[in-house]
Amino acid sequence: MKDSVEDIIELSNDLRWKMGGDFHDHITESIYADASEIVEATVTTDSRKGRNAVDVTIDRIVTSRKWGFPIMFLVLGVVLWLTIIGANYPSGLLAELLLDSIHPALKSGAASLHFPWWLSGFLIDGVYLALAWVIAVMLPPMAIFFPLFTLLEDFGYLPRVAFNLDNLFKKAGAHGKQALTMSMGFGCNAAGVVATRIIDSPRERLIAIITNNFSLCNGRWPTQILIATIFVGAVVPKALSGTAAVLSVIGIAVLGMAFMFTSSWLLSKTVLKGQVSTFNLELPPYRPPRFWKTLYTSLIDRTLIVLWRAIVFAAPAGAVIWLISNIMIGDHSIAYWMINSLDGFGWLIGLNGVILVAYIVAIPANEIVIPTVLMLTVLVTGMSGGEGAGVMFELDSANATGEILKAGGWTLLTAVNLMLFSLLHNPCSTTIYTIYRETKSAKWTAVATLMPLIMGFVVTFLVAQVWRLF
Amino acid sequence: MEKNVVSSACEVCPQYNPDGLKKLGVNVENTDYVVALAGNPNTGKSTVFNALTGLRQHTGNWPGKTVTRAEGAFGYNDKTYKLVDLPGTYSLLSTSEDEEVARNFILFGKPDVTVIVVDAGRLERNLNLVLQILEITDKAVLCLNLMDEAKRNHVEVNERALAKRLGVPVVAASARFNKGIPELIDVISQVATGKIACKPHRITNVPKHINDAVKKLSDQIKQRFPNVPNSRWIAFRLLDGDQRIIEALREGEFEL
Amino acid sequence: MNVSGPLFNLLVFLGVLVLAYVLFRPTKGWFWLVANSVKTNHKVITEDVLKQLYTLENQGEHILKKEVVNSLHYNDGTLERVIATMEENGLVEELGQGEIRLTALGRDYALKIVRVHRLWEKYLAEKTGFDKTEWHARAEKMEHQLSHEETNVLATELGNPIYDPHGDPIPSHSGEYADIDGAHLNDLPVDTVGKIVHIEDEPEVYYRQILAENIHIGSVIRVVENTDRRVLFYAEGEEFILAPEVARNLTIEVLETQEELEELAVRLSALGTGEKAEILGISKECRGDSRRRLLDLGFVKGTPIQIDLVSPLQNPKAYLVKGTTIALRDDQAAKILIKKM
Ligand SMILES: Nc1nc2c(ncn2[C@@H]2O[C@H](COP(=O)(O)OP(=O)(O)O)[C@@H](O)[C@H]2O)c(=O)[nH]1
Ligand SMILES: [Mg+2]
Repeated sequence: MKDSVEDIIELSNDLRWKMGGDFHDHITESIYADASEIVEATVTTDSRKGRNAVDVTIDRIVTSRKWGFPIMFLVLGVVLWLTIIGANYPSGLLAELLLDSIHPALKSGAASLHFPWWLSGFLIDGVYLALAWVIAVMLPPMAIFFPLFTLLEDFGYLPRVAFNLDNLFKKAGAHGKQALTMSMGFGCNAAGVVATRIIDSPRERLIAIITNNFSLCNGRWPTQILIATIFVGAVVPKALSGTAAVLSVIGIAVLGMAFMFTSSWLLSKTVLKGQVSTFNLELPPYRPPRFWKTLYTSLIDRTLIVLWRAIVFAAPAGAVIWLISNIMIGDHSIAYWMINSLDGFGWLIGLNGVILVAYIVAIPANEIVIPTVLMLTVLVTGMSGGEGAGVMFELDSANATGEILKAGGWTLLTAVNLMLFSLLHNPCSTTIYTIYRETKSAKWTAVATLMPLIMGFVVTFLVAQVWRLF
Repeated sequence: MEKNVVSSACEVCPQYNPDGLKKLGVNVENTDYVVALAGNPNTGKSTVFNALTGLRQHTGNWPGKTVTRAEGAFGYNDKTYKLVDLPGTYSLLSTSEDEEVARNFILFGKPDVTVIVVDAGRLERNLNLVLQILEITDKAVLCLNLMDEAKRNHVEVNERALAKRLGVPVVAASARFNKGIPELIDVISQVATGKIACKPHRITNVPKHINDAVKKLSDQIKQRFPNVPNSRWIAFRLLDGDQRIIEALREGEFEL
Repeated sequence: MNVSGPLFNLLVFLGVLVLAYVLFRPTKGWFWLVANSVKTNHKVITEDVLKQLYTLENQGEHILKKEVVNSLHYNDGTLERVIATMEENGLVEELGQGEIRLTALGRDYALKIVRVHRLWEKYLAEKTGFDKTEWHARAEKMEHQLSHEETNVLATELGNPIYDPHGDPIPSHSGEYADIDGAHLNDLPVDTVGKIVHIEDEPEVYYRQILAENIHIGSVIRVVENTDRRVLFYAEGEEFILAPEVARNLTIEVLETQEELEELAVRLSALGTGEKAEILGISKECRGDSRRRLLDLGFVKGTPIQIDLVSPLQNPKAYLVKGTTIALRDDQAAKILIKKM
């Protein structure tokens, strides 16, 4: 019986050869010929009225030479503004609740239950605190950003953005839809990586995945803003300090886009040039979004799922932070030894050992970088203040934070390089994991992880050396 | 085919029993029937899926949203149905990942009914996929969705004539406003239980030299696998050099 | 740790960069050179000699051993030795006065290499995203690597193609191959109508010029002017000018006059806003997944098409096809042929 199957295959190969190469063309043409006969007989279009005039007009305006770009920037600006400003208040509330009320309550609860110090330290100061930080910092902006984004998507505006910007992305060897996955990355890189599914060309999709990390995500904005306020704001006249800080953060985000374009171009010319590349972009009709349903699904689909994964990764990070600051080798904690051994390299790239250690343990979640930096600085300088070894904290005023950092030896260079490094380093572990799931390839995951890290080292190194020259 | 062959969409409308529907959410174990939802991207498949199962799959006005397969279930008149929301595709002839998933499910998953959700305002483009699916399976229902939008753009579709030409029941719907969903459920159940038998359209405008080759090959396939309903489609795929189909032949996936 | 000054650090960094460039720059980096020279062994040289002989013989020339040795970029002594071994193995034979030619066995072998080369170019064109300019070099490497069985599997997967993407015939596994009928473009009289059936990819300078002009295989052309300074022709609604030595690399199949109809074809990229047209087909230059996707979206013969939207940067443009709005980039639009109405 097996033979007859081989016969069929043999016959098909034979017939195929005789028919020549255009089989697919012919079949598609036949199907469409049938389709147009059927449509002819069953569909009537009122040709006088035609497509809805409102839709046509909207399209003309949002893709026009004059209004296309201004409208786009306005929309993106409003979304980011709503996210950053709108998130402040709930973030503050959550921080107060989770960090200032529940944390002490848990501690005293543990004390009254006679937990040994190491157990309550490990669980409450380590695991719980890391979770609390991540939730307080991450949840509010995500809960605002993603629904807004989804509403735009539902309306049908986003494909027009891709259409408007495609020419720029084409020059970098990328797909116009990358504009959207990039914007999504401003919310969360992991979500941005998942969103690349809308790009159906293999090469352009890989480019979008690998370069998504250059979009400064919600977890990194707070670091940028805090450091810019403390250090950049301080070198200009007081009246301008707020503006200078904001401008420098925007500058970093724009620099991120520049890196995104450059590395997209490099990737498309080197490692990715053999991947298949196709282009087509359907512009769907406008549809009024369904507000509540959208709110619900985007909360469930994006915000909570991303948050959940972050929690899964952040909890162990909290545990590690607590452990390295409390387990002693000789006279000092593991954290101390790690910081010491990384100080040399840190200095070379204009950072310091504390920052590098913080970034190593904060691979799972960038939100905890600043609290970890503060805790470790207090730990190694032996100054008073802080909450104790392994207890992450943040201070109410930027000034007080600045005092601690300056005591830790920070300069303007350290600050600038930290801002650069926060933009250019490996993606967080949630994102790395997501990249692996989406590409199913260890190779591309490694490229996506190491490329920005190496870039970060090179850029901070160069900045540090040139800075010191003058 | 002794059963009544569909000739119009409305033979089936009035019998809907509203108390018979139970949205079963994610309970997909041991259902009586399996129903696949196929269609071009952005035609409202996920909206139909949600309306039937009571789940909340992400819907989006963006081609290429559902990428993985979603499953849900509903019950109607004492029978339970598993519903599978396939990724949206323009065709089943190419080799992208989405198309593989959709194609493999319709071909090898052998759903009891395949519901093809199409955009009423862009019927011609959608028919490309519809006609391909009708080559594969003869238990299909056409859900003519987005009727409201078609009307807004002054497009009118004659459902009866369409059902007659395609040889499968056609249900007009506006899934977003739950219009047509009851009728759709009823038709699905009738096709699943065999109360309605379909006689699907087969592609006719094939150039002669190709048609001859297809005929020769499909005859041989029929001889070897007498129970396969879609030998012509398998022949199409073999002539296009589809490695997955060749493999399926060798592995005996077409033996019934 | 602060021993080293910033200037010193920068210099070290620069040094590392330069070193990396020298070692790893594409194709000419030392690392690649060493890696490649290890790989070029006896077999590769033999096969290159066979191919060279095959090409020269097909041009109907008498071949001197000296010529072959000079035309290949290997050490002369090595080449002499390889050719001697080839004679022993009965692949080539000496005809006296330094003239050599392929034996039947040698010709057979040469055909197999040509087969792999052309199949691989076809593969690169259909299934990968490599640029046209890279196909040749990649196939040059691959032709030495695929075994007989692997080649057959590749051929089946590609549907036993008859022509490679440049229009060269691919020998079948039994060594038969189709002919290309046609004349070099620079030999054609004015007003000849014909179809481009072959685009030669060597020498590379000329090939790059042809690509830069955006000339497509399969296009129907009409010769307008042919002097020893330039060849001017129309194709798909556009005008092209080539130097005669470049035009030589295009092979044209002369068409009967009734087929001239196709001359009305213009490229979709030439469609203006507000104009209406009907699709005639997709050029042979559009291959693989791109082609399939366009077909699936309804870019098939007979479909009415018009511009719906132009993006602010002028490229891409969105076209209205079968009731849907689909954006294409200009370089893709150049590969779709239409008839304006
Ligand atoms: N006006 C209208 N919109 C609909 C209808 N059905 C679905 N939609 C919208 O069409 C878009 C795409 O729907 P979705 O279910 O995600 O399509 P899928 O890609 O086929 O799964 C969403 O914005 C839906 O709200 C309908 O009947 N009428
Ligand atoms: Mg969907």
